Amino acid sequence: MSGPVPPARGRGGTVNRWAIAVVAVLTLALPPLLPERHLATFVLLLLAATVTVGVSLLMGYAGQVSLGQASFYAIGAYAAALPAVHGVPSLLGLALAPVAAAVAAVLLGAPLLRLRGHHLAFATLAVQLILLSLLAQADWAGGAIGLQGIPRLTVLGVELRDLGYAYAAWLVLAAALLIARNIVDSRPGRALRAAATSETAAAASGVAIGRHRLAVFTLSAAMAGLAGGVYAFYLGYLSPGSFPVLLSIEFVVMAVVGGLGTIAGPVVGATVIILLVQVLNTLGTQPGMPDYAPSVLSYAVYAVLLIVCVLYLPRGLVPALRRTGRRPS
Amino acid sequence: MTVELTVDKVSRAFGGVYAVRDVSLTVPAGELRAVIGPNGAGKSTLFALIGGQLAADTGTVALDGIRVERRPAHRRGIGVVFQTARVFHGMTAFENVMVGAHAVTRAGFLAAALRLPRHHRDERRIREKALTCLDRVGLADWADRPAEELPLGQQRSLQLARALCGEPRLLLLDEPASGLRAAEREHLATLITRLRTEGLTILLVEHDVAFVMRLADRITVLDLGRVIADGTPAEVRANPEVRTAYLGPETVRPSEPHPGVEGVAG
Repeated sequence: MSGPVPPARGRGGTVNRWAIAVVAVLTLALPPLLPERHLATFVLLLLAATVTVGVSLLMGYAGQVSLGQASFYAIGAYAAALPAVHGVPSLLGLALAPVAAAVAAVLLGAPLLRLRGHHLAFATLAVQLILLSLLAQADWAGGAIGLQGIPRLTVLGVELRDLGYAYAAWLVLAAALLIARNIVDSRPGRALRAAATSETAAAASGVAIGRHRLAVFTLSAAMAGLAGGVYAFYLGYLSPGSFPVLLSIEFVVMAVVGGLGTIAGPVVGATVIILLVQVLNTLGTQPGMPDYAPSVLSYAVYAVLLIVCVLYLPRGLVPALRRTGRRPS
Repeated sequence: MTVELTVDKVSRAFGGVYAVRDVSLTVPAGELRAVIGPNGAGKSTLFALIGGQLAADTGTVALDGIRVERRPAHRRGIGVVFQTARVFHGMTAFENVMVGAHAVTRAGFLAAALRLPRHHRDERRIREKALTCLDRVGLADWADRPAEELPLGQQRSLQLARALCGEPRLLLLDEPASGLRAAEREHLATLITRLRTEGLTILLVEHDVAFVMRLADRITVLDLGRVIADGTPAEVRANPEVRTAYLGPETVRPSEPHPGVEGVAG
Protein backbone atom coordinates (compact mmCIF):
# COMPACT_ATOMS: atom_id res chain seq x y z
CA MET A 1 0.00 0.00 0.00
CA SER A 2 1.21 3.47 -0.73
CA GLY A 3 0.16 6.79 0.72
CA PRO A 4 -2.41 7.61 3.35
CA VAL A 5 -6.04 6.51 3.05
CA PRO A 6 -7.81 9.32 1.18
CA PRO A 7 -10.96 10.70 2.78
CA ALA A 8 -14.16 9.57 1.11
CA ARG A 9 -15.31 13.11 0.41
CA GLY A 10 -12.66 15.52 1.48
CA ARG A 11 -12.25 19.04 0.07
CA GLY A 12 -13.08 21.95 2.32
CA GLY A 13 -14.28 19.93 5.28
CA THR A 14 -13.34 22.63 7.78
CA VAL A 15 -14.79 25.43 5.63
CA ASN A 16 -18.03 23.46 5.44
CA ARG A 17 -18.08 22.90 9.16
CA TRP A 18 -17.75 26.62 9.81
CA ALA A 19 -20.44 27.48 7.29
CA ILE A 20 -22.80 24.97 8.88
CA ALA A 21 -22.11 26.37 12.35
CA VAL A 22 -22.78 29.93 11.19
CA VAL A 23 -26.04 28.98 9.46
CA ALA A 24 -27.13 26.98 12.50
CA VAL A 25 -26.50 29.86 14.90
CA LEU A 26 -28.23 32.38 12.63
CA THR A 27 -31.30 30.23 12.10
CA LEU A 28 -31.52 29.51 15.82
CA ALA A 29 -31.29 33.21 16.67
CA LEU A 30 -33.81 34.25 14.02
CA PRO A 31 -37.23 33.02 15.29
CA PRO A 32 -37.60 35.36 18.33
CA LEU A 33 -36.84 38.33 16.06
CA LEU A 34 -39.52 37.47 13.51
CA PRO A 35 -43.02 38.96 13.57
CA GLU A 36 -45.74 36.33 13.90
CA ARG A 37 -46.67 36.36 10.22
CA HIS A 38 -43.11 35.68 9.18
CA LEU A 39 -42.62 33.12 11.90
CA ALA A 40 -45.31 31.02 10.21
CA THR A 41 -43.39 31.25 6.94
CA PHE A 42 -40.23 30.24 8.78
CA VAL A 43 -41.86 27.13 10.27
CA LEU A 44 -43.45 26.09 6.97
CA LEU A 45 -40.14 26.68 5.21
CA LEU A 46 -38.28 24.37 7.57
CA LEU A 47 -40.94 21.70 7.20
CA ALA A 48 -40.92 21.97 3.41
CA ALA A 49 -37.11 21.75 3.48
CA THR A 50 -37.36 18.57 5.54
CA VAL A 51 -39.62 16.94 2.98
CA THR A 52 -37.32 18.17 0.22
CA VAL A 53 -34.30 16.54 1.88
CA GLY A 54 -36.07 13.22 1.34
CA VAL A 55 -37.08 14.10 -2.23
CA SER A 56 -33.51 15.12 -3.02
CA LEU A 57 -32.16 11.90 -1.55
CA LEU A 58 -34.59 9.97 -3.71
CA MET A 59 -34.01 11.96 -6.91
CA GLY A 60 -30.40 12.96 -6.61
CA TYR A 61 -28.87 9.86 -5.15
CA ALA A 62 -31.27 7.08 -6.05
CA GLY A 63 -32.34 8.48 -9.43
CA GLN A 64 -36.06 8.11 -8.69
CA VAL A 65 -38.75 10.77 -9.02
CA SER A 66 -41.74 10.97 -6.72
CA LEU A 67 -44.56 13.33 -7.68
CA GLY A 68 -46.58 12.24 -4.68
CA GLN A 69 -44.38 13.16 -1.77
CA ALA A 70 -47.13 15.33 -0.30
CA SER A 71 -49.12 12.16 0.28
CA PHE A 72 -46.56 11.05 2.86
CA TYR A 73 -46.65 14.53 4.34
CA ALA A 74 -50.42 14.07 4.61
CA ILE A 75 -50.18 10.56 6.01
CA GLY A 76 -47.77 11.79 8.68
CA ALA A 77 -50.02 14.72 9.51
CA TYR A 78 -53.15 12.59 9.87
CA ALA A 79 -51.28 9.83 11.71
CA ALA A 80 -50.14 12.40 14.29
CA ALA A 81 -53.39 14.31 14.52
CA LEU A 82 -55.99 11.52 14.66
CA PRO A 83 -54.72 9.81 17.83
CA ALA A 84 -54.12 13.20 19.45
CA VAL A 85 -57.71 14.21 18.75
CA HIS A 86 -58.78 11.05 20.56
CA GLY A 87 -56.72 11.83 23.62
CA VAL A 88 -53.44 10.05 22.85
CA PRO A 89 -50.44 12.10 24.07
CA SER A 90 -49.39 14.39 21.25
CA LEU A 91 -45.72 13.41 21.40
CA LEU A 92 -46.73 9.79 20.81
CA GLY A 93 -48.77 10.97 17.84
CA LEU A 94 -45.73 12.77 16.50
CA ALA A 95 -43.65 9.62 16.86
CA LEU A 96 -46.33 7.74 14.91
CA ALA A 97 -46.14 10.18 11.99
CA PRO A 98 -42.87 8.97 10.39
CA VAL A 99 -43.71 5.35 11.17
CA ALA A 100 -47.09 5.53 9.43
CA ALA A 101 -45.56 7.26 6.39
CA ALA A 102 -42.76 4.69 6.25
CA VAL A 103 -45.18 1.78 6.44
CA ALA A 104 -47.25 3.32 3.66
CA ALA A 105 -44.08 3.75 1.58
CA VAL A 106 -43.08 0.11 2.04
CA LEU A 107 -46.53 -1.09 0.99
CA LEU A 108 -46.68 1.25 -2.01
CA GLY A 109 -43.01 1.06 -2.89
CA ALA A 110 -42.79 -2.68 -3.25
CA PRO A 111 -44.89 -2.66 -6.43
CA LEU A 112 -44.17 0.95 -7.50
CA LEU A 113 -40.38 0.78 -7.52
CA ARG A 114 -40.46 -1.79 -10.27
CA LEU A 115 -41.48 1.15 -12.41
CA ARG A 116 -38.75 3.42 -13.68
CA GLY A 117 -38.38 7.11 -14.37
CA HIS A 118 -41.56 8.78 -15.53
CA HIS A 119 -43.65 5.74 -14.70
CA LEU A 120 -42.77 5.99 -11.03
CA ALA A 121 -43.48 9.73 -11.13
CA PHE A 122 -46.94 9.13 -12.58
CA ALA A 123 -47.66 6.26 -10.25
CA THR A 124 -46.80 8.31 -7.16
CA LEU A 125 -48.90 11.16 -8.55
CA ALA A 126 -51.81 8.73 -8.93
CA VAL A 127 -51.28 7.53 -5.38
CA GLN A 128 -51.65 11.05 -4.11
CA LEU A 129 -54.84 11.67 -6.10
CA ILE A 130 -56.30 8.45 -4.72
CA LEU A 131 -55.28 9.35 -1.18
CA LEU A 132 -56.85 12.81 -1.47
CA SER A 133 -60.15 11.43 -2.69
CA LEU A 134 -60.15 8.75 0.03
CA LEU A 135 -59.44 11.38 2.67
CA ALA A 136 -62.26 13.54 1.37
CA GLN A 137 -64.69 10.65 1.90
CA ALA A 138 -63.32 9.47 5.24
CA ASP A 139 -65.67 10.95 7.81
CA TRP A 140 -63.59 9.56 10.65
CA ALA A 141 -60.74 11.76 9.44
CA GLY A 142 -62.90 14.82 9.07
CA GLY A 143 -63.74 14.20 5.43
CA ALA A 144 -63.56 17.05 2.96
CA ILE A 145 -64.34 19.57 5.69
CA GLY A 146 -61.24 18.64 7.55
CA LEU A 147 -60.03 17.52 10.93
CA GLN A 148 -60.42 20.19 13.59
CA GLY A 149 -59.49 20.66 17.20
CA ILE A 150 -56.09 19.07 16.98
CA PRO A 151 -54.42 19.73 20.35
CA ARG A 152 -51.09 21.51 20.50
CA LEU A 153 -47.88 19.57 20.82
CA THR A 154 -46.95 19.02 24.45
CA VAL A 155 -43.33 18.27 25.29
CA LEU A 156 -42.51 17.39 28.92
CA GLY A 157 -45.74 18.96 30.06
CA VAL A 158 -45.11 22.22 28.23
CA GLU A 159 -47.51 23.15 25.47
CA LEU A 160 -45.59 24.49 22.49
CA ARG A 161 -46.31 28.05 21.39
CA ASP A 162 -45.37 29.44 17.97
CA LEU A 163 -41.73 29.88 18.90
CA GLY A 164 -41.64 26.30 20.15
CA TYR A 165 -42.77 25.03 16.75
CA ALA A 166 -40.02 26.98 15.07
CA TYR A 167 -37.48 25.10 17.16
CA ALA A 168 -39.27 21.78 16.77
CA ALA A 169 -39.22 22.23 12.99
CA TRP A 170 -35.56 23.24 13.19
CA LEU A 171 -34.72 20.04 15.06
CA VAL A 172 -36.68 17.92 12.60
CA LEU A 173 -34.85 19.49 9.64
CA ALA A 174 -31.48 19.14 11.35
CA ALA A 175 -32.17 15.46 11.99
CA ALA A 176 -33.20 14.91 8.36
CA LEU A 177 -30.05 16.65 7.10
CA LEU A 178 -27.82 14.68 9.43
CA ILE A 179 -29.37 11.39 8.39
CA ALA A 180 -29.13 12.30 4.71
CA ARG A 181 -25.47 13.20 5.10
CA ASN A 182 -24.75 9.99 6.96
CA ILE A 183 -26.50 7.88 4.35
CA VAL A 184 -24.84 9.49 1.34
CA ASP A 185 -21.38 8.75 2.66
CA SER A 186 -21.90 5.13 3.63
CA ARG A 187 -22.09 1.65 2.20
CA PRO A 188 -25.81 1.81 1.28
CA GLY A 189 -25.44 5.42 0.08
CA ARG A 190 -22.62 4.60 -2.29
CA ALA A 191 -24.59 1.60 -3.53
CA LEU A 192 -27.54 3.87 -4.35
CA ARG A 193 -25.39 6.43 -6.12
CA ALA A 194 -23.75 3.63 -8.09
CA ALA A 195 -27.10 2.18 -9.13
CA ALA A 196 -28.18 5.61 -10.38
CA THR A 197 -25.41 5.44 -13.04
CA SER A 198 -25.42 1.76 -13.92
CA GLU A 199 -27.82 -0.74 -12.45
CA THR A 200 -26.00 -3.56 -14.20
CA ALA A 201 -22.62 -2.71 -12.78
CA ALA A 202 -24.04 -2.03 -9.32
CA ALA A 203 -25.79 -5.40 -9.30
CA ALA A 204 -22.60 -7.07 -10.46
CA SER A 205 -20.91 -5.48 -7.44
CA GLY A 206 -23.39 -7.22 -5.18
CA VAL A 207 -25.92 -4.41 -4.70
CA ALA A 208 -29.54 -5.55 -4.25
CA ILE A 209 -30.91 -2.53 -6.09
CA GLY A 210 -34.60 -3.04 -5.45
CA ARG A 211 -34.15 -3.35 -1.72
CA HIS A 212 -31.93 -0.27 -1.55
CA ARG A 213 -34.40 1.83 -3.54
CA LEU A 214 -37.26 0.70 -1.36
CA ALA A 215 -35.24 1.65 1.71
CA VAL A 216 -34.48 5.16 0.47
CA PHE A 217 -38.08 5.64 -0.69
CA THR A 218 -39.18 4.62 2.80
CA LEU A 219 -36.68 6.94 4.42
CA SER A 220 -37.83 9.87 2.29
CA ALA A 221 -41.42 9.08 3.22
CA ALA A 222 -40.51 8.96 6.91
CA MET A 223 -38.94 12.42 6.65
CA ALA A 224 -42.07 13.75 4.95
CA GLY A 225 -44.21 12.04 7.58
CA LEU A 226 -42.33 13.55 10.49
CA ALA A 227 -42.57 17.02 8.94
CA GLY A 228 -46.28 16.38 8.39
CA GLY A 229 -46.70 15.52 12.07
CA VAL A 230 -45.24 18.84 13.17
CA TYR A 231 -47.37 20.59 10.56
CA ALA A 232 -50.56 19.04 11.95
CA PHE A 233 -49.90 20.21 15.52
CA TYR A 234 -48.71 23.60 14.38
CA LEU A 235 -51.80 24.42 12.32
CA GLY A 236 -54.26 22.56 14.54
CA TYR A 237 -56.42 21.85 11.50
CA LEU A 238 -56.04 19.46 8.57
CA SER A 239 -58.01 18.88 5.40
CA PRO A 240 -57.32 17.12 2.11
CA GLY A 241 -57.01 20.60 0.65
CA SER A 242 -53.88 21.19 2.73
CA PHE A 243 -52.02 18.65 0.57
CA PRO A 244 -52.66 19.50 -3.07
CA VAL A 245 -50.71 17.91 -5.89
CA LEU A 246 -49.11 21.31 -6.34
CA LEU A 247 -47.39 20.76 -3.01
CA SER A 248 -45.76 17.57 -4.31
CA ILE A 249 -44.58 19.46 -7.37
CA GLU A 250 -43.31 22.22 -5.12
CA PHE A 251 -41.08 19.73 -3.29
CA VAL A 252 -39.64 18.47 -6.56
CA VAL A 253 -39.00 22.02 -7.80
CA MET A 254 -37.31 22.90 -4.52
CA ALA A 255 -35.05 19.87 -4.83
CA VAL A 256 -34.13 20.61 -8.44
CA VAL A 257 -33.61 24.35 -7.95
CA GLY A 258 -31.48 23.82 -4.87
CA GLY A 259 -29.41 21.17 -6.55
CA LEU A 260 -29.90 17.43 -6.61
CA GLY A 261 -27.17 15.33 -5.12
CA THR A 262 -26.20 17.94 -2.54
CA ILE A 263 -27.06 18.04 1.13
CA ALA A 264 -27.54 21.81 1.35
CA GLY A 265 -29.57 21.93 -1.89
CA PRO A 266 -32.97 21.19 -0.36
CA VAL A 267 -32.56 23.94 2.23
CA VAL A 268 -31.46 26.50 -0.35
CA GLY A 269 -34.17 25.39 -2.79
CA ALA A 270 -36.92 25.53 -0.18
CA THR A 271 -35.77 28.96 1.00
CA VAL A 272 -35.67 30.45 -2.50
CA ILE A 273 -39.05 29.05 -3.53
CA ILE A 274 -40.89 29.87 -0.32
CA LEU A 275 -39.61 33.43 -0.25
CA LEU A 276 -40.46 33.93 -3.91
CA VAL A 277 -43.94 32.49 -3.50
CA GLN A 278 -44.39 34.73 -0.47
CA VAL A 279 -43.51 37.81 -2.47
CA LEU A 280 -45.77 36.78 -5.35
CA ASN A 281 -48.56 35.98 -2.94
CA THR A 282 -48.35 39.46 -1.50
CA LEU A 283 -48.41 40.79 -5.04
CA GLY A 284 -51.33 38.56 -6.04
CA THR A 285 -53.48 39.59 -3.09
CA GLN A 286 -53.08 43.32 -3.73
CA PRO A 287 -56.42 45.09 -4.15
CA GLY A 288 -57.54 45.05 -7.75
CA MET A 289 -55.97 41.66 -8.52
CA PRO A 290 -58.36 38.91 -9.61
CA ASP A 291 -58.89 36.23 -6.96
CA TYR A 292 -57.21 33.55 -9.05
CA ALA A 293 -54.01 35.62 -9.18
CA PRO A 294 -52.17 33.99 -6.24
CA SER A 295 -52.54 30.43 -7.51
CA VAL A 296 -51.76 31.38 -11.10
CA LEU A 297 -48.68 33.25 -9.96
CA SER A 298 -47.44 30.37 -7.83
CA TYR A 299 -47.89 27.88 -10.67
CA ALA A 300 -46.12 30.33 -12.93
CA VAL A 301 -43.19 30.71 -10.59
CA TYR A 302 -42.66 26.95 -10.40
CA ALA A 303 -42.82 26.63 -14.14
CA VAL A 304 -40.51 29.56 -14.84
CA LEU A 305 -38.04 28.60 -12.14
CA LEU A 306 -37.92 25.01 -13.30
CA ILE A 307 -37.31 26.07 -16.91
CA VAL A 308 -34.69 28.66 -16.00
CA CYS A 309 -33.00 26.22 -13.70
CA VAL A 310 -32.91 23.39 -16.22
CA LEU A 311 -31.64 25.76 -18.91
CA TYR A 312 -29.02 27.74 -17.02
CA LEU A 313 -28.32 25.86 -13.81
CA PRO A 314 -29.00 22.26 -14.72
CA ARG A 315 -27.34 21.05 -11.56
CA GLY A 316 -29.07 23.55 -9.31
CA LEU A 317 -28.08 26.52 -7.20
CA VAL A 318 -25.76 24.89 -4.69
CA PRO A 319 -23.42 23.23 -7.21
CA ALA A 320 -23.43 26.43 -9.28
CA LEU A 321 -22.50 28.58 -6.28
CA ARG A 322 -19.86 26.07 -5.26
CA ARG A 323 -18.27 26.22 -8.70
CA THR A 324 -18.11 30.03 -8.72
CA GLY A 325 -16.67 29.91 -5.22
CA ARG A 326 -13.90 27.54 -6.27
CA ARG A 327 -12.93 29.37 -9.41
CA PRO A 328 -9.62 31.13 -8.76
CA SER A 329 -10.03 34.89 -9.20
CA MET B 1 -11.69 -19.03 -2.53
CA THR B 2 -11.44 -19.87 -6.18
CA VAL B 3 -13.98 -22.11 -7.91
CA GLU B 4 -14.69 -24.36 -10.83
CA LEU B 5 -17.17 -22.97 -13.34
CA THR B 6 -19.47 -25.39 -15.12
CA VAL B 7 -21.75 -24.22 -17.90
CA ASP B 8 -24.04 -26.98 -19.11
CA LYS B 9 -26.14 -26.84 -22.29
CA VAL B 10 -26.98 -23.18 -21.88
CA SER B 11 -29.20 -21.59 -24.52
CA ARG B 12 -30.62 -18.15 -24.98
CA ALA B 13 -32.69 -16.92 -27.88
CA PHE B 14 -33.76 -13.42 -28.83
CA GLY B 15 -36.96 -13.32 -30.85
CA GLY B 16 -36.54 -16.90 -32.06
CA VAL B 17 -32.88 -16.46 -33.02
CA TYR B 18 -30.40 -18.31 -30.84
CA ALA B 19 -27.56 -16.11 -29.60
CA VAL B 20 -26.16 -18.98 -27.58
CA ARG B 21 -27.21 -22.58 -28.23
CA ASP B 22 -26.39 -25.61 -26.07
CA VAL B 23 -23.08 -24.20 -24.94
CA SER B 24 -21.23 -26.31 -22.40
CA LEU B 25 -17.84 -25.60 -20.92
CA THR B 26 -15.97 -26.35 -17.73
CA VAL B 27 -13.31 -24.06 -16.34
CA PRO B 28 -11.31 -25.80 -13.58
CA ALA B 29 -10.44 -23.79 -10.48
CA GLY B 30 -7.52 -21.46 -11.07
CA GLU B 31 -7.64 -21.65 -14.85
CA LEU B 32 -7.59 -18.68 -17.18
CA ARG B 33 -10.03 -19.51 -19.92
CA ALA B 34 -10.59 -17.38 -22.95
CA VAL B 35 -13.73 -17.43 -25.05
CA ILE B 36 -13.18 -16.13 -28.55
CA GLY B 37 -15.24 -15.91 -31.68
CA PRO B 38 -16.11 -13.53 -34.50
CA ASN B 39 -18.66 -10.75 -34.06
CA GLY B 40 -22.09 -12.18 -33.36
CA ALA B 41 -20.70 -15.48 -32.14
CA GLY B 42 -22.59 -15.12 -28.85
CA LYS B 43 -19.59 -14.26 -26.67
CA SER B 44 -21.22 -11.34 -24.91
CA THR B 45 -24.47 -13.24 -24.44
CA LEU B 46 -22.58 -16.13 -22.85
CA PHE B 47 -20.78 -13.63 -20.64
CA ALA B 48 -24.08 -12.13 -19.50
CA LEU B 49 -25.60 -15.54 -18.88
CA ILE B 50 -22.74 -16.47 -16.56
CA GLY B 51 -22.60 -13.07 -14.88
CA GLY B 52 -26.35 -12.97 -14.35
CA GLN B 53 -27.12 -9.92 -16.48
CA LEU B 54 -29.25 -12.20 -18.66
CA ALA B 55 -31.33 -15.23 -17.74
CA ALA B 56 -30.79 -18.46 -19.66
CA ASP B 57 -33.76 -20.03 -21.45
CA THR B 58 -32.41 -23.49 -20.69
CA GLY B 59 -29.28 -25.02 -19.22
CA THR B 60 -27.37 -24.56 -15.99
CA VAL B 61 -24.48 -22.50 -14.66
CA ALA B 62 -22.72 -23.84 -11.57
CA LEU B 63 -19.87 -22.69 -9.35
CA ASP B 64 -18.23 -25.67 -7.65
CA GLY B 65 -21.33 -27.69 -8.40
CA ILE B 66 -23.74 -25.16 -6.88
CA ARG B 67 -26.23 -23.96 -9.44
CA VAL B 68 -26.47 -20.18 -9.75
CA GLU B 69 -28.37 -19.67 -13.01
CA ARG B 70 -31.51 -18.59 -11.17
CA ARG B 71 -29.75 -16.25 -8.81
CA PRO B 72 -29.79 -12.53 -9.54
CA ALA B 73 -26.42 -11.02 -10.49
CA HIS B 74 -25.84 -9.53 -7.06
CA ARG B 75 -25.95 -12.93 -5.39
CA ARG B 76 -23.59 -14.87 -7.63
CA GLY B 77 -20.24 -13.88 -6.13
CA ILE B 78 -18.80 -13.29 -9.58
CA GLY B 79 -16.55 -10.31 -10.27
CA VAL B 80 -17.39 -8.63 -13.56
CA VAL B 81 -15.50 -6.22 -15.80
CA PHE B 82 -17.73 -4.90 -18.57
CA GLN B 83 -16.58 -3.92 -22.00
CA THR B 84 -18.30 -0.56 -22.03
CA ALA B 85 -16.86 1.52 -19.24
CA ARG B 86 -19.44 1.10 -16.53
CA VAL B 87 -17.84 3.20 -13.84
CA PHE B 88 -20.12 5.08 -11.49
CA HIS B 89 -20.39 8.76 -12.32
CA GLY B 90 -20.30 11.50 -9.72
CA MET B 91 -18.11 9.33 -7.55
CA THR B 92 -14.35 9.26 -7.13
CA ALA B 93 -12.26 6.34 -8.30
CA PHE B 94 -11.84 5.38 -4.66
CA GLU B 95 -15.60 5.43 -4.04
CA ASN B 96 -16.14 3.32 -7.15
CA VAL B 97 -13.90 0.63 -5.76
CA MET B 98 -15.55 0.94 -2.35
CA VAL B 99 -18.84 -0.06 -3.98
CA GLY B 100 -17.08 -3.25 -5.02
CA ALA B 101 -16.80 -4.27 -1.37
CA HIS B 102 -20.59 -4.21 -1.07
CA ALA B 103 -20.94 -7.98 -1.37
CA VAL B 104 -18.54 -8.71 1.47
CA THR B 105 -19.85 -6.15 4.00
CA ARG B 106 -23.15 -5.77 5.79
CA ALA B 107 -23.77 -2.32 7.30
CA GLY B 108 -27.22 -1.12 6.22
CA PHE B 109 -29.29 2.06 6.28
CA LEU B 110 -29.93 2.07 9.99
CA ALA B 111 -26.28 1.57 10.88
CA ALA B 112 -25.32 4.31 8.42
CA ALA B 113 -28.01 6.81 9.43
CA LEU B 114 -27.24 6.50 13.14
CA ARG B 115 -23.51 5.95 12.66
CA LEU B 116 -23.63 2.72 14.67
CA PRO B 117 -20.36 0.89 15.47
CA ARG B 118 -21.11 -1.58 12.71
CA HIS B 119 -21.00 1.25 10.16
CA HIS B 120 -17.59 2.40 11.37
CA ARG B 121 -16.25 -1.14 11.45
CA ASP B 122 -17.41 -1.87 7.91
CA GLU B 123 -16.31 1.52 6.64
CA ARG B 124 -12.78 0.95 7.89
CA ARG B 125 -12.69 -2.45 6.27
CA ILE B 126 -14.09 -1.15 2.98
CA ARG B 127 -11.50 1.63 2.83
CA GLU B 128 -8.61 -0.70 3.47
CA LYS B 129 -9.83 -3.18 0.88
CA ALA B 130 -10.54 -0.50 -1.69
CA LEU B 131 -7.13 1.04 -1.26
CA THR B 132 -5.41 -2.31 -1.60
CA CYS B 133 -7.35 -3.05 -4.77
CA LEU B 134 -6.68 0.38 -6.27
CA ASP B 135 -3.02 -0.15 -5.54
CA ARG B 136 -3.09 -3.59 -7.12
CA VAL B 137 -4.22 -2.21 -10.45
CA GLY B 138 -1.87 0.77 -10.17
CA LEU B 139 -4.52 3.45 -9.65
CA ALA B 140 -3.59 4.55 -6.12
CA ASP B 141 -2.61 7.98 -7.41
CA TRP B 142 -5.98 8.44 -9.08
CA ALA B 143 -8.04 7.69 -5.98
CA ASP B 144 -9.59 11.16 -5.61
CA ARG B 145 -10.32 11.76 -9.29
CA PRO B 146 -13.91 11.58 -10.51
CA ALA B 147 -14.15 8.14 -12.10
CA GLU B 148 -15.70 9.35 -15.36
CA GLU B 149 -12.72 11.65 -16.00
CA LEU B 150 -10.27 8.76 -16.11
CA PRO B 151 -8.97 7.62 -19.52
CA LEU B 152 -10.56 4.47 -20.91
CA GLY B 153 -7.64 2.23 -19.93
CA GLN B 154 -7.81 3.43 -16.35
CA GLN B 155 -11.57 3.01 -16.29
CA ARG B 156 -11.08 -0.62 -17.28
CA SER B 157 -8.51 -1.05 -14.52
CA LEU B 158 -10.89 0.70 -12.14
CA GLN B 159 -13.59 -1.82 -12.98
CA LEU B 160 -11.08 -4.56 -12.34
CA ALA B 161 -10.21 -3.09 -8.94
CA ARG B 162 -13.91 -2.81 -8.16
CA ALA B 163 -14.47 -6.45 -9.10
CA LEU B 164 -11.49 -7.61 -7.02
CA CYS B 165 -12.73 -5.65 -4.02
CA GLY B 166 -15.72 -8.01 -3.80
CA GLU B 167 -13.40 -10.99 -3.30
CA PRO B 168 -14.86 -12.78 -6.32
CA ARG B 169 -14.60 -16.53 -6.66
CA LEU B 170 -14.66 -16.13 -10.41
CA LEU B 171 -13.64 -13.16 -12.50
CA LEU B 172 -15.40 -12.39 -15.79
CA LEU B 173 -13.80 -10.01 -18.26
CA ASP B 174 -15.67 -8.85 -21.37
CA GLU B 175 -13.26 -7.73 -24.10
CA PRO B 176 -11.02 -5.95 -21.60
CA ALA B 177 -8.44 -5.07 -24.24
CA SER B 178 -10.79 -3.43 -26.71
CA GLY B 179 -10.12 0.23 -27.35
CA LEU B 180 -6.93 0.23 -25.33
CA ARG B 181 -3.60 1.56 -26.53
CA ALA B 182 -0.64 -0.82 -26.76
CA ALA B 183 0.88 0.23 -23.44
CA GLU B 184 -2.47 -0.02 -21.65
CA ARG B 185 -2.98 -3.44 -23.19
CA GLU B 186 0.40 -4.59 -21.90
CA HIS B 187 -0.40 -3.29 -18.44
CA LEU B 188 -3.69 -5.15 -18.47
CA ALA B 189 -2.07 -8.38 -19.67
CA THR B 190 0.43 -8.20 -16.81
CA LEU B 191 -2.38 -7.63 -14.34
CA ILE B 192 -4.45 -10.53 -15.59
CA THR B 193 -1.43 -12.83 -15.56
CA ARG B 194 -0.72 -11.87 -11.99
CA LEU B 195 -4.31 -12.58 -10.91
CA ARG B 196 -4.09 -15.95 -12.66
CA THR B 197 -0.87 -16.73 -10.75
CA GLU B 198 -2.66 -15.89 -7.52
CA GLY B 199 -5.05 -18.72 -8.33
CA LEU B 200 -8.20 -16.83 -9.36
CA THR B 201 -10.45 -18.57 -11.89
CA ILE B 202 -10.82 -16.20 -14.82
CA LEU B 203 -13.06 -16.24 -17.86
CA LEU B 204 -11.97 -13.82 -20.51
CA VAL B 205 -14.24 -13.04 -23.46
CA GLU B 206 -12.16 -11.46 -26.18
CA HIS B 207 -12.30 -10.50 -29.80
CA ASP B 208 -8.56 -9.93 -30.11
CA VAL B 209 -7.03 -13.36 -30.72
CA ALA B 210 -3.44 -12.20 -30.32
CA PHE B 211 -4.22 -10.88 -26.85
CA VAL B 212 -5.61 -14.17 -25.56
CA MET B 213 -3.25 -16.56 -27.30
CA ARG B 214 -0.44 -15.70 -24.92
CA LEU B 215 -2.57 -15.31 -21.78
CA ALA B 216 -5.04 -18.17 -21.73
CA ASP B 217 -4.53 -21.67 -20.41
CA ARG B 218 -7.27 -22.91 -22.68
CA ILE B 219 -9.47 -21.34 -25.30
CA THR B 220 -13.09 -22.02 -26.19
CA VAL B 221 -14.14 -20.89 -29.66
CA LEU B 222 -17.72 -19.89 -30.36
CA ASP B 223 -19.29 -19.41 -33.74
CA LEU B 224 -22.96 -18.67 -34.39
CA GLY B 225 -23.82 -19.42 -30.77
CA ARG B 226 -22.16 -22.85 -30.61
CA VAL B 227 -18.84 -24.17 -29.34
CA ILE B 228 -16.77 -25.16 -32.38
CA ALA B 229 -13.47 -25.81 -30.65
CA ASP B 230 -11.92 -26.11 -27.21
CA GLY B 231 -8.26 -26.58 -26.40
CA THR B 232 -4.90 -25.07 -25.62
CA PRO B 233 -3.93 -21.99 -27.61
CA ALA B 234 -1.70 -24.14 -29.84
CA GLU B 235 -4.50 -26.63 -30.51
CA VAL B 236 -6.97 -23.92 -31.29
CA ARG B 237 -4.51 -22.18 -33.56
CA ALA B 238 -4.00 -25.42 -35.45
CA ASN B 239 -7.69 -26.28 -35.72
CA PRO B 240 -8.73 -25.86 -39.36
CA GLU B 241 -12.38 -25.25 -38.44
CA VAL B 242 -11.38 -22.33 -36.26
CA ARG B 243 -9.17 -20.91 -38.95
CA THR B 244 -12.02 -20.99 -41.43
CA ALA B 245 -14.73 -19.68 -39.13
CA TYR B 246 -12.83 -17.10 -37.26
CA LEU B 247 -9.46 -16.27 -38.65
CA GLY B 248 -10.45 -16.71 -42.26
CA PRO B 249 -8.98 -19.30 -44.64
CA GLU B 250 -5.72 -17.37 -44.84
CA THR B 251 -4.54 -15.83 -41.59
CA VAL B 252 -3.87 -12.24 -42.45
CA ARG B 253 -4.42 -10.91 -38.97
CA PRO B 254 -1.22 -9.44 -37.49
CA SER B 255 -0.22 -11.24 -34.31
CA GLU B 256 0.51 -7.95 -32.60
CA PRO B 257 -1.57 -4.80 -32.94
CA HIS B 258 -0.44 -2.75 -35.86
CA PRO B 259 1.36 0.41 -34.75
CA GLY B 260 -0.78 2.49 -37.08
CA VAL B 261 -4.16 1.29 -35.89
CA GLU B 262 -3.60 0.95 -32.18
CA GLY B 263 -5.90 2.98 -30.04
CA VAL B 264 -8.74 2.65 -32.50
CA ALA B 265 -11.71 1.33 -30.56
CA GLY B 266 -12.36 -2.25 -31.62
